[in-house]
Amino acid sequence: MFWRMISGALFRQKGKMLMIAFTVALGASLATAMLDVMLDVGDKVNQELKTYGANINVMPKGASLLDDLYGVEEGAGVSNQYLKEEELGRIKTIFWAFNIVDFAPYLDANVDVQLHSNAGSVTAASGTSTETSVSSGGSTSSGGSANVASGTAGVELVGTWFSHHLELPTGESLDTGIKNMKSWWDVSGEWPRDDQPTSALVGSILASQKGIDVGDTLTASTQGRQQDFTVVGIFNAGGEEDEQVYVPLLAVQQLTGRAGLVSSVEVSALTTPDNELSRRAAQNPKSLSIKEWETWYCTAYVSAISYQIEEVITDSVAKPIRQVAESEGAILEKTQLLMLLITVLSLVGAALGISNLITASVMERSREIGLLKALGAHNLPISWLVLAEILITAVVGGVAGYFAGIGFAQIIGHSVFGSAIDVKPMVIPLVAVLIFVVTLAGSIPSIRLLLRLRPAEVLHGR
Amino acid sequence: MKRQTMYLRMITSSLVRRRSRLLVALLAVAIGATILSGLVTIYYDVPRQLGQEFRSYGANLILVPAGDEPSIDRDTAQRAVDLIPKDEVVGIAPYRYETLKINEQPTVVAGTDLEGVQKASPYWFITGEWPTSSKSVLIGQEVADLIRLTPGSSLTLNGTGAEGQAVSANFTVSGIVQTGGTEEAFVFMALADLEAMMGDSGKLNVVECSISADQDDLDKIVKNISNNVEEVSPRLVKRVTESEGTVLTKLQALVYLVTVVVLLLTMICVATTMMAVVAERRKEIGLKKALGASNKSIVIEFLGEGLFFGALGGLLGSGLGFLFAQVVSMNVFTRAISFQPLLIPVTVVVSIAITGLACLLPVRSATDVDPAIVLRGE
Repeated sequence: MFWRMISGALFRQKGKMLMIAFTVALGASLATAMLDVMLDVGDKVNQELKTYGANINVMPKGASLLDDLYGVEEGAGVSNQYLKEEELGRIKTIFWAFNIVDFAPYLDANVDVQLHSNAGSVTAASGTSTETSVSSGGSTSSGGSANVASGTAGVELVGTWFSHHLELPTGESLDTGIKNMKSWWDVSGEWPRDDQPTSALVGSILASQKGIDVGDTLTASTQGRQQDFTVVGIFNAGGEEDEQVYVPLLAVQQLTGRAGLVSSVEVSALTTPDNELSRRAAQNPKSLSIKEWETWYCTAYVSAISYQIEEVITDSVAKPIRQVAESEGAILEKTQLLMLLITVLSLVGAALGISNLITASVMERSREIGLLKALGAHNLPISWLVLAEILITAVVGGVAGYFAGIGFAQIIGHSVFGSAIDVKPMVIPLVAVLIFVVTLAGSIPSIRLLLRLRPAEVLHGR
Repeated sequence: MKRQTMYLRMITSSLVRRRSRLLVALLAVAIGATILSGLVTIYYDVPRQLGQEFRSYGANLILVPAGDEPSIDRDTAQRAVDLIPKDEVVGIAPYRYETLKINEQPTVVAGTDLEGVQKASPYWFITGEWPTSSKSVLIGQEVADLIRLTPGSSLTLNGTGAEGQAVSANFTVSGIVQTGGTEEAFVFMALADLEAMMGDSGKLNVVECSISADQDDLDKIVKNISNNVEEVSPRLVKRVTESEGTVLTKLQALVYLVTVVVLLLTMICVATTMMAVVAERRKEIGLKKALGASNKSIVIEFLGEGLFFGALGGLLGSGLGFLFAQVVSMNVFTRAISFQPLLIPVTVVVSIAITGLACLLPVRSATDVDPAIVLRGE
């Protein structure tokens, strides 16, 4: 009888119940979408913030001072302090390997550069001849020096990975390099390819000073060695890099005779904002208790990731670049808090909206409840009847709303970040509890209110 | 006159006699209006607030000497700085670099406005304190490691002054700077101290400016400065400006979409509640029709009620919404949010439109039906 009454009510009041189910669905979808987006927004924004480039700088132990402080770049005491290129793959094997987005090694050399312009009519012929020598292997050639268009001393030549394909010891492979890391570089022409060791990317300031154009040939010479490069692109980085020339790492290693060595590595990692623990750890990891140390080591703090990089790269010092690391933390925290508060607002809105509608729909059944009471029904069965009806409707609406909410979350994810939002299973119980509590909160007070009314009055109207 | 009095009495009595329903409807509209005004206020203010947050990346515009000049005159730099709109400036830090010696080891010493640095480069991590008195300096972590200095210890700087004279002075270390960049190899002191030591003044090598403005505004400032102050060449720090543009656009899009989704769902929610409230009065509508009321007068009466709900709920909501936005802003950005007066009428109008629409639909369907059927029930 109970179920027949319920199904009767559900079907006879199709319109009304549909409306309740619809509203519950709206509320549930709002809650699902906001919770999913909120829980994932940290990862997504973190990924976006990678456009600021590297946040960890890895240097050989002890060598970091000489260049900055004394301008000593060559000679005694410098040459033996390098990192090994073959060890770089290990950066992707640390505890937080998945948080390492990109990394790129650097090896720089001060070189004298001679330009062979292809643009000038007189030097055009010589330019072409140099080009053929480049394409036929590009190894050291002294033939170009006779056709010098202009010479410059003391240009910084930087060898790096542009988009280097790396096979990891774990069997995985990845492409990494400055092409991904320096997203703000404005390159006219093309990015050099790592498998063409004679292509070069020239900084815009240097290019405009010396009149270098895409397609020109440069001869770089240092310590008696020489190498020709073809300019494939000019870049504008808006910093000191604009006065440098970037070429594939291998070329600089050959030119300077430092095979398999790099002078520094920039690492771009997804990190957790710093807190008191990580600050203390950054000062001295040994000052932590064992438990604190474990917490620190197993959290993606920038200091923990730096520490783990130092563990895998021999004789290295990994330092967080504070400008990037600190600011990332600040922005990440703010965005998450903002989303959290907006989520709370919309959850409260959805909850009030649902419970409000349910109150309204229970109230209007005063006549029905009055009739049931007049027929001798007790308060408890009446309450159960109304509650069961509404809960069934709410469950139907809630399930539909959950899936609609996932849809909304994906719309937001794809249109804002261009990638799917992770659907977290923990959202399901949260939404379920929310809907349940809200439905009860909306119906119980109004049911109690109606039960207190006297049937005669209700049936009479007013 | 009589008609209007009757109309008013009908509306007020229906509101007063159904107090609980009045509350339900008003609550629904107020929730909708709160979310509307709160989210829109946040949406308008977030770019500005987040823009401020992005200033923690440091300077986005630097002024360097134009041409082959080694330094900028301080007055010239001031003229250039004056061209930047005052309310957009977050921090300005002028730098003068000199190479001096500590214990016969060459070190780059930067003279600057230390308060300006704190604003322009908030990411500097200081162990110890920022210098407050003259003759105290900040040293980079690398210098500290090399010479084994701690906050509180003293150091002697010596070198060659502006006219070739030998200069020497004692300083106290007040703090150690960690940035992860080249700053760690420098010594920082107040510009006045460095000038007193070198024996000349008014020269700057670079001026770092942290400006809270978007790419277009920055381009305008750059153009303005290079047109008006020839001795200075302004350059944008592309890494900061470009990346800020990219990330900020994404975040704005996020808040925008979230706002749209939440508003859409909430408004539908409000509409269904209003529809439920009105739908239960089918009987009343039937009775009125049986007594000879025209469809038009019934619609007008319900619209009048809707108008009342919309206006009251909208007003209530715009106040609550601003309060909410303020709480969010204080919590997230610790800054007050700017009040948008235009938002009050907009919220009220939207609330009225939605309640009006939500009332109209069920009333329409009720008036279309024969009163006898409505009165009989079902």
